[in-house]
Amino acid sequence: MALLDVTDLRTHFFTREGTVRAVDGVSFSVEKGKTLGIVGESGCGKSVTALSIMGLIPKPPAKIVSGSVLYDGRDLTTLSERQLEDVRAREIAMIFQDPMTSLNPTLTIGTQITETIRRHYDVSQKQANKKAIELLEKVRIPRAPERLSDYPHRFSGGMRQRVMIAIALSCDPKLLIADEPTTALDVTVQASVLDLLDDLRHEYDMSMIIITHDMGVVAEAADDIVVMYAGQVVEHASTLELFDNPEHPYTEALLGALPQLEGANVRQGRLTAIPGRPPDLINPPEACRFGPRCRYAGSDDCTVNEPQLREIRRGHWVRSAHPASERSGSRVPEQVG
Amino acid sequence: MSTDNQALLQVTDLHKHFPIREGLLIERKVGEVRAVDGVSFDVRAGETLSLVGESGSGKSTTGFCVLQLMKPTSGSVKFEGTELTELGREEMRRMRREMQIVFQDPYSSLDPRMTVGDIVGEPLVVHGIGTRRDRAARIRDLLDVVGFNPSFTNRYPHEFSGGQRQRIGIARALALSPKLIVCDEPVSALDVSIQAQILNLLKDLQQDFGLTYLFIAHDLAVVRGMSDRIAVMNQGRLVEMGPAEEVYTNPQEDYTKALLSAVPIPDPRAMKERKELRRKLRSALAEG
Amino acid sequence: MIIDPREAPTPTIAGDVVSPDGTGSAGAPLRQSNLWRDAWRRYIRNRAALAAGVVFILMLLFVIVWPIISPYDPNEIDFSARSQPPSLEHPFGTDTFGRDLMTRAAVGGRVSIGIGFAATIAILLIGVTYGSISGFVGGRLDNGMMRVLDALYGLPYLPFAIIVTQIFGNVTFWTMVVALSIVSWFTTARIVRGQVITLKENDYIRAARAVGARWHRVLGRHVLPNTLGVLIIAIFLELPGVILGEAILSFIGLGISPPDASWGQMANEGRAAYRTSPHIIAVPSIMIATLILSANFIADGLRDALDPRTRET
Repeated sequence: MALLDVTDLRTHFFTREGTVRAVDGVSFSVEKGKTLGIVGESGCGKSVTALSIMGLIPKPPAKIVSGSVLYDGRDLTTLSERQLEDVRAREIAMIFQDPMTSLNPTLTIGTQITETIRRHYDVSQKQANKKAIELLEKVRIPRAPERLSDYPHRFSGGMRQRVMIAIALSCDPKLLIADEPTTALDVTVQASVLDLLDDLRHEYDMSMIIITHDMGVVAEAADDIVVMYAGQVVEHASTLELFDNPEHPYTEALLGALPQLEGANVRQGRLTAIPGRPPDLINPPEACRFGPRCRYAGSDDCTVNEPQLREIRRGHWVRSAHPASERSGSRVPEQVG
Repeated sequence: MSTDNQALLQVTDLHKHFPIREGLLIERKVGEVRAVDGVSFDVRAGETLSLVGESGSGKSTTGFCVLQLMKPTSGSVKFEGTELTELGREEMRRMRREMQIVFQDPYSSLDPRMTVGDIVGEPLVVHGIGTRRDRAARIRDLLDVVGFNPSFTNRYPHEFSGGQRQRIGIARALALSPKLIVCDEPVSALDVSIQAQILNLLKDLQQDFGLTYLFIAHDLAVVRGMSDRIAVMNQGRLVEMGPAEEVYTNPQEDYTKALLSAVPIPDPRAMKERKELRRKLRSALAEG
Repeated sequence: MIIDPREAPTPTIAGDVVSPDGTGSAGAPLRQSNLWRDAWRRYIRNRAALAAGVVFILMLLFVIVWPIISPYDPNEIDFSARSQPPSLEHPFGTDTFGRDLMTRAAVGGRVSIGIGFAATIAILLIGVTYGSISGFVGGRLDNGMMRVLDALYGLPYLPFAIIVTQIFGNVTFWTMVVALSIVSWFTTARIVRGQVITLKENDYIRAARAVGARWHRVLGRHVLPNTLGVLIIAIFLELPGVILGEAILSFIGLGISPPDASWGQMANEGRAAYRTSPHIIAVPSIMIATLILSANFIADGLRDALDPRTRET
């Protein structure tokens, strides 16, 4: 049974310029003990999805207009703010992208950890401190007892991220949502943070949603992957399946546009660029949203009707009129230029 | 490579130290941060030398010091044989026509109160080049060449996306027909699909205009297709330098090896292997 | 938490064209908007600021227009009409000399607001010069200039203003302006310096230098225009202070000499009769209070309207 079940989630931002349909019909589920990766570029709606799950979207101007977020049987979209506060940290925890600004610079990290603990558990400050030290040790921060009284500015980016993870874990959540956890970090630090998350996940028997634009990160960290584009899910498959057999033209193009250390692209030194830009989410096209940039878009269905998400193989969903395995000819897309 | 191909840029023992000052009324220097700690390299005409390192490695600072946008604490920077650190203000101004820079952040590198046309044309105005009409024509050409619609010269930067803004920045860098362009992490702030567009553009421009690049980046994968030679920096020092192929396939230094192995690759099996390796390393270290 | 500004949707205008060679977006701009128009719209959405703006403009009109069309001479003494409460003939009443208060309020307003604006402009000139040089040059000069500023802050505002007026001997419109501006420019200097320092972090400043711009171009073309927002707000923050300063000085008798009116002067004159004819002191006091309140609300509204978010997409 899935721990988290998101069904047809739609989050819209009501602005003067129009209604921005940031998340427009997103569905996925997270199994117990598994990691789901949500991948996409700026503006695709991945962060807003995560915030919608947590009920952290600014309302106004945002609003979950339809859809459900079933966690452990309860629909989070129907809960009051107070009820959501009980769910946060205790059931679902979130770590944010920029460790530089996600910690309060005027409070010691000890305070920031213990205040979360004491919000959800009836313990004394002393007990909370003890737990905080345990957590810091868990996230591999050396000399934990001394560092409890340090302020965030005394920690490096990677360590601050670990502190955030410690805060997130403080109440034994069942689901951890990590929004771009490694983006602001150096490459060498990224690996250790991902390793840490993986170990902790096993130890705490947590599920995880990892949101990123980095295909390399999901290749390592995720069991299943959801690819988002323009507020929708365009492809959903297990990690191995997605990388071995990408179906959606966007996924293919994304993989092709990646600068890589080795591979066919490299020798030429030329990357496969995706022309154009993501569509306007105030007036998304009625038809396939990737259409204008897709090299397979024809004068057929995809310019008129919006393709629906369909299961092209077992466990592999795609929203496209021209998935790779249904195209005639070679599967390797032609290079541009 | 001909023997009389003297390096376009020669950097020798470059240092940039930032003092740490403390004190209530009168600040005293209590220490220093050695952002660039004795860096030397050459860049030959027409080639791309990539300066790669993590944040804090000093790579951007090196780039700024080369262009004298920061005054080096010590060391020599020779451009076509001329020692830049000894030039007077006016002479340096003139030299700037030969060397330009593309910045990392497309949001802060363009003056929000100037139109696109003014931004791209500023170098020409500053050096008194051409009449207004000449400049307008040149601006249109430059925008065209970088793939930016020239009819939008009257618009403001905030109306455009990150990728488009970088194009504007590149057009500005080309305005004076420089020989050398320092690219300071020009694609780090862009999405993957846009990165590819800009990187391709830079490569094309290099060929069309015979440019020399000092390409600064933190992502080894990004510079793979761009570089002729690579210099790896760590904590202000050059750790390894050599032809790109060499450095990637046969890294000599531990740090370079660590960097290469840390670059995420979109291959789940390979990544899982690496993860296993790291895990074994960790438990070995824990026991040993 | 932060929603990545890049995540914020970027609308395109209709007809965005992908260039035929497919290498890039020779595309149209994302949003055809004007920074100022956006700010204006945001400003008028703020009801308090809008109301304050209207009130402010009305007051300006009042002090400019009324003396021209008023049937009364502000200095005309008429003992037969002394200390009359507000009536149809004298909507604000008359003072102890029988002078029409409405006309005097308008004329006095010209003086008070005039001094206010003149001093504010002077404050801006001094403050911007000092602050921008300090912030732009930075380093030891900045340190030194800020220490001097710190010392100047220690000077007692009013006594110092009084001393300056006394130095001039005769207190006129312009001596008031000078006195008030000399003691009030410190905060503006500090604000401008802060803004300049923040702006210096932007790459476009470095870009201007990289391109070969000389320091005065960088300062004049890149730094100062981007402090405009801060300056506009500073105007409406300094104005109340200066007007109040003039009012206080006049109230204690060290202001502009009678019979020329200023609001403070009028309040001074109404002081003696406040028990029997409170309207005499009430009129100028209400004028001062209204102007100050509306200026504050305007400053508040401007600050919200010129929110830095306008700078990004």
